[in-house]
Amino acid sequence: MIAEYGQLALTFALCISLALAIVPLYGSFKGQQTALQLGNPLAYALFLLTAFSFWALSYAFWANDFTVVYVATNSNSLLPWYYRLTAVWGGHEGSMLLWLLTLSGWIAAVALFSRSLPLQFQGRILGVMGLVALGFYAFVLFMSNPFERSLPYFPVDGRDLNPLLQDFGMIIHPPMLYMGYVGFAVSFAFAIAALMGGKFDSTWARWARPWTLAAWLFLTLGIMLGSWWAYNELGWGGWWFWDPVENASFMPWLVGTALIHSLAVTEKRGTFKSWTVLLAIAAFSLSLLGAFLVRSGVLVSVHSFAADPSRGLYLLAFLLVVVGGSLLLYALRMNSVRSQARYELFSREVLLWGNNIFLLTATLVVLLGTLFPLVHKELGLGSISIGEPFFNQLFYYLVIPFALLLGLGPWVRWKQQQVKPLLKPMSLIAIATLILALGTLATLQSVQANLALLGLLLGAWVGSSAIFELLQRLQQFGSVKQGLTKLNASHFGMTLAHIGFAVLVIGVAMTKTYSVETQVRMKAGEQVELAGYQFRLVEVYPLDGPNYKGEAAELDVSYKGDYVTHLHAEKRFYTVQRSVMTEAAVHARLSRDLYVALGESLNDDSWALSLYVKPFVRWIWLGGLLMALGGLIALCDKRYRRRVGDQKETTELKDTTDA
Amino acid sequence: MRKLAFFIPFVLFIALSVFLFSGLFSNPMERESSVLDQPLPAFALPDLHQPEKIWTPDSIKGKPLLLNVWGTWCVTCNAELAYLTELREQGVMIVGLYYQQPVDAAFGEVFNLSALQQEVTLKLEQQGNPYQWNILDKDRTLIFDLGVTGAPETFLIDAQGIIRYHHIGDINPQVWQQKLAAAYQSLQE
Repeated sequence: MIAEYGQLALTFALCISLALAIVPLYGSFKGQQTALQLGNPLAYALFLLTAFSFWALSYAFWANDFTVVYVATNSNSLLPWYYRLTAVWGGHEGSMLLWLLTLSGWIAAVALFSRSLPLQFQGRILGVMGLVALGFYAFVLFMSNPFERSLPYFPVDGRDLNPLLQDFGMIIHPPMLYMGYVGFAVSFAFAIAALMGGKFDSTWARWARPWTLAAWLFLTLGIMLGSWWAYNELGWGGWWFWDPVENASFMPWLVGTALIHSLAVTEKRGTFKSWTVLLAIAAFSLSLLGAFLVRSGVLVSVHSFAADPSRGLYLLAFLLVVVGGSLLLYALRMNSVRSQARYELFSREVLLWGNNIFLLTATLVVLLGTLFPLVHKELGLGSISIGEPFFNQLFYYLVIPFALLLGLGPWVRWKQQQVKPLLKPMSLIAIATLILALGTLATLQSVQANLALLGLLLGAWVGSSAIFELLQRLQQFGSVKQGLTKLNASHFGMTLAHIGFAVLVIGVAMTKTYSVETQVRMKAGEQVELAGYQFRLVEVYPLDGPNYKGEAAELDVSYKGDYVTHLHAEKRFYTVQRSVMTEAAVHARLSRDLYVALGESLNDDSWALSLYVKPFVRWIWLGGLLMALGGLIALCDKRYRRRVGDQKETTELKDTTDA
Repeated sequence: MRKLAFFIPFVLFIALSVFLFSGLFSNPMERESSVLDQPLPAFALPDLHQPEKIWTPDSIKGKPLLLNVWGTWCVTCNAELAYLTELREQGVMIVGLYYQQPVDAAFGEVFNLSALQQEVTLKLEQQGNPYQWNILDKDRTLIFDLGVTGAPETFLIDAQGIIRYHHIGDINPQVWQQKLAAAYQSLQE
């Protein structure tokens, strides 16, 4: 019965989302307080009903209720309990329910934390989110119902969760990612609400900033976890594959990053207005496009859910209404708005404009690379595929000017910056950059690569610039110590996120340059050397897990004769799904990873193994983590929690907004 | 002019949607074959069981036939052997193009023709033998020229040696009825 209750709750939630889409918007245009005040209770009810429904599905998984089709296709009685619970989002229907849960969670959060906003504006935000929710609730209930039963003939046991998804990274990767995707719905709703009002001052930007930051921070974590998961689980040491679905998550991230910066300009200087609105629409539109690409089967990807054209058609229609509608509204409303703020050629505005240009070019590169094969084929030009070299090459060119600008950006003032005062700090940073980069390169045994040098230079430039800038800013408060307590949290957050970017760039360049790998055939007791490390295969023995069988290999690793570590690599055969998975053995240090994947058993008791030494690969995820942490710190900024009434003092920079 | 500029995002989005819409109704796995309506690429490859006999495009001309790319290592190929044998009994001429997997000398593997012959004979005895004869493509040169991406794949070749259809994946009754039967019949006439 629990599953039926879950479905019932979901049906109620659909009705609530309908009410949420109509009532507050109606109230906002008719000026009816009662209708507007209904927004909050509706939002809370939506969340509670969805949470109950989600709990009901989780319970069906917990209790191995294989009469529910979705449980039977994605779980198995032998699956450990924690994977049974994460299997809730292991397939299309359940992951859509998770999507609804996060969406209703964001809606409830907006209702909770936006009580200080003007009621009319808040009503419009909730109304827009209600419209988005309505589309998704209808999609889940009518086209991908996770509670469908297969009575009276139900399977005795389930088909098991895809073994790829039986991993810790997979437990938290989708929730984080969805929090990010759906979180951009909030920025989107703020932008649309502002468009509906037709009055463009910079207040909406100030209100939208913390929400955008929060969504961006979750998306950053989600993408990073996905990369980390792929590295551990796919068994060939890669951390980014330019797979269409990865790209689908990367595009909103790039636009979201641009949006964070553009919002800052709109808030502080009252300019870039139409641009910021467009970015807010674009970030969420790309999230929706991602959902469409993954769930409609138009692209080939390891992530795709089973393709179903009717679902794709629905999502496309939804995309047309939401994105097409908002872009049309944008075109009709925005053309009368003019920004009048003045700024000189050398000013923070222009540098942030550069940031946006590069981030959007990167988005365009990813979008083209992802969709070009589809367009090419539909034009009747035949099938092509676009792979890593295309993306790598173009990102290589984009990151250089981007990082140079990033190092400079925080130093430059709003409106106008004289060149002269910057000459001294900038040359100091340039010298520090050279010393750091060349110094690091010199400690490595082989000084070869241009790419590593470039990565170190860019990373050191961005990093040292960020740190010097922070120090200089702190000193303006009298002393560094005083500054630490007085400087805005958002400034610390920015510095940390920029350092994170530096760390990421260094990680990518170093890993790409210095990684070595070898495929070997080994017998127990044999030893192979790679990059100075001796890998000795101690033994290989059979494994017997709860829902898999397999083999495990034990290796000892030493470096120039000194014992380093013990590695344990597994190869699992999941009996229900009949698929083979590698569980790579990883020994992680900040400076390098040792990575071993167990391959096939060859004749005469020997085994194929893949060995990798990957310097600095941790830096990639560390960089992502620092960026997310920077976002979190910025989110704690006091300014965002101030009530509307006393916000005047934050606009000490004169806004030259038009009416 | 400035007003119109604000419509650009909308117009671009609508254009993109058109492609997404048409993309919904085509299978992304399906590819246009580049060898369609082309004569068979030049080759001279030995017969699997009689290596002294060399097959060339000219020597297989004369009758429409199915050229089936397969290997004993390929699970799907083995699954389709039974139905292909049925087709042979109905009078369809099927020629096998044996897909030999790369031999990795680093792992101490050597190519052993007689072992392969035994393996193939055994497999065909067990599962049914749809083939008039098998061409051995040891270095996968013809397979490469034909643009084969994996096994099994099947080419429909007319009496003049022109490739008329390229099917990726296995052949089962449904595929045969829907995609190949009519084309094969029309070539017969």
